[in-house]
Amino acid sequence: MLEIRNLHATVEGREILKGIDLVVRPGETHAIMGPNGSGKSTLANVIAGREGYEVTEGEILFDGKNLLEMAPEIRACEGLFLAFQYPVEIPGVANLYFLKAAVNAVRKYRGEPPVDAMDFWELVHERMELVKMDESMLKRSVNEGFSGGEKKRNEVFQMAVLQPRFAVMDETDSGLDIDALRVVADGVNALRGPERGFLVITHYQRLLDYIVPDHVHVLFNGRIVRSGGKELALELEEQGYALYNEEPGRARRAAA
Amino acid sequence: MSNIAPVVQNPFRQRFAAFTADRREPDAIARLRREGLDRFASLGWPTRQQEAWRLADLGALAQIDLQRPADALVDAGTLPTLDLPTHQLTFVNGRFAPGLSRLRELPNQALIASLGQALLTHPERIEPHLERLPGLGQHPFAALNTAFWEDGAFVYLPRATVAETPVHLLFHIAGDDIAVYPRLLLVLEDGAQATVVVEYRGKGRYLNAPVAELQLGAGAVLHYHQIQEESSPAFHLGGVRVRQDRDSQANLHLVSFGGQLARTDLEVLLDGEGASCVLNGLILANDQQMGDYHVRVEHAQPRGSSEQLFKSVLDGKARSVFDGMIHVRPHAQKTDARQTNRNLLLSKQAQANANPRLEILADDVKCGHGSTTGFLNPDALFYLRARGIPAAQARTLLVHAFANDSLNRIQLTPLRERLASSLAARLALGSIEEP
Ligand SMILES: Nc1ncnc2c1ncn2[C@@H]1O[C@H](COP(=O)(O)OP(=O)(O)OP(=O)(O)O)[C@@H](O)[C@H]1O
Ligand SMILES: [Mg+2]
Repeated sequence: MLEIRNLHATVEGREILKGIDLVVRPGETHAIMGPNGSGKSTLANVIAGREGYEVTEGEILFDGKNLLEMAPEIRACEGLFLAFQYPVEIPGVANLYFLKAAVNAVRKYRGEPPVDAMDFWELVHERMELVKMDESMLKRSVNEGFSGGEKKRNEVFQMAVLQPRFAVMDETDSGLDIDALRVVADGVNALRGPERGFLVITHYQRLLDYIVPDHVHVLFNGRIVRSGGKELALELEEQGYALYNEEPGRARRAAA
Repeated sequence: MSNIAPVVQNPFRQRFAAFTADRREPDAIARLRREGLDRFASLGWPTRQQEAWRLADLGALAQIDLQRPADALVDAGTLPTLDLPTHQLTFVNGRFAPGLSRLRELPNQALIASLGQALLTHPERIEPHLERLPGLGQHPFAALNTAFWEDGAFVYLPRATVAETPVHLLFHIAGDDIAVYPRLLLVLEDGAQATVVVEYRGKGRYLNAPVAELQLGAGAVLHYHQIQEESSPAFHLGGVRVRQDRDSQANLHLVSFGGQLARTDLEVLLDGEGASCVLNGLILANDQQMGDYHVRVEHAQPRGSSEQLFKSVLDGKARSVFDGMIHVRPHAQKTDARQTNRNLLLSKQAQANANPRLEILADDVKCGHGSTTGFLNPDALFYLRARGIPAAQARTLLVHAFANDSLNRIQLTPLRERLASSLAARLALGSIEEP
């Protein structure tokens, strides 16, 4: 459902992504791991359509459609979701109001009428329980004054309400305690199904105990230098990325 | 007297002679008018060399040969309403329009009337208050107003009178190259309470130079709203002066949406112990518009508090000015004075000028002020869009979030809601959809 081909992207003239190839089929969950600054968030942002990233080569297809030609809101309406590594605080916009605006924007795009108030309320409550979020968060401004963990929970909550077909989770586990980690994983697992795809960016093998991936990729210096099954995460946990730091030939040999 | 170019001074002198020739009013009022004219003559037409008018471009206004307005007819259906029972007084081109007004029953001894008419029937209630408040002494257009006002509103509530029904004062102007000088005199005696909505609006290229005088007795409570939605070629150069006695509370909401140049000078004198005021100002300006608040809060007595929140939202090449002075006299110990100015720029050509000033002569006071100016947060915009919300709607949402901080302080729900939709329409981004 998501096909990334030879993707090159620059930020302020500097090439960050140097030829990424990645295919996620419906029902699959892929994990991306890699050292700080290797380009994981850049990839997530390019997929979501953030400004400031220039794609110089390659393409991304979402269900066969050219994703890079779509505005960020169209991508979202097409069923794409990004759980932000750093969720933004928006003072003066209530969380619930924001969520309803988002739900209705997607519905409008699909030619559906605005959501029924009762249905929406029920959905919100059900999903709030799923991610164990407190009702008071709904009235507060989006992410304003939320703790790090609350912000991440709010991302999963939004995902659970919007029910995207494809979600990119950018370090949603960072800064979470063990209980919160389970909650986040439950949120993701509740959505998993034959129609949906996930791209989970993480630094910790731990998360992948809860969200068991079909494939694990190592992103290093703007390239996917190695791909494997879930056991690759364990190996990385033990060995770190030092291996990839040397000349590319060795990394390739390690991959073989 | 300073040197004033006669070309500027003379037309007002000549017009004054014609204007006063056929007026029948008490001598005291005629004297005030002459003093107003003399004060204008000594202040002169403002120039950009004067600090207080440094950023105001009055060149286009100076070119206009401002005339006294003719009577005009206004279709009642075009006038804004509040969807509330109100005491309504409407003025067209500065003159009372009884057919567009509606007065309801009033508590005993209270009076809400045209100032001109009340001057004939109750001069003893007006003369002790008109033009008696300090402030605006350096404001040339306030001086012109004192010389040339034709009519306006008089709101008088005696001791301990609570007017439950809001007072709605509508000043409509229609015509080109005319000058109108509406006047409002509001007197709340000790313990009286009132809610007042003043609306300025019109059609054409004109000058509106209103003056409002608000007098609060001990323990009086006032909710005052001033909504400026003049026509886009119009000039609005107004003044509001407030005097507050002991333990009185003034909540003043000033909203500025219209006009090519719209400035209000607001002077509040906290003249009794424990008096408090909240000043809530919002400017929305687009294209070449300029919105300007010059505010002076004078703490004269101990234990007073003042809170100022002035915001502007600027698009196109619009400009705003916030010039805010907090003056605490030596005697005014335990004063709590705060001032906040926030400006949101929606375009790179927009410009906000902030000039916060503090003069604190007492030693035991709490005083704070801050000013920020910035663009819409691109990260917030992306966050909303990444959830499916279209860019235009996301912008509107963020601008509203910014402005709502001001509008939400307005307790009159129908007014607040009307202003919110007017804001959305003026932003030309389509009204924000209830999601
Ligand atoms: N907006 C930006 N402006 C300047 N440089 C940027 C920007 N975004 C990313 N970069 C640079 O691109 C490189 C990759 O950053 P990216 O955020 O994609 O890394 P990451 O793999 O997500 O790292 P982390 O694990 O720390 O989150 C870094 O060197 C970063 O400084
Ligand atoms: Mg990152």
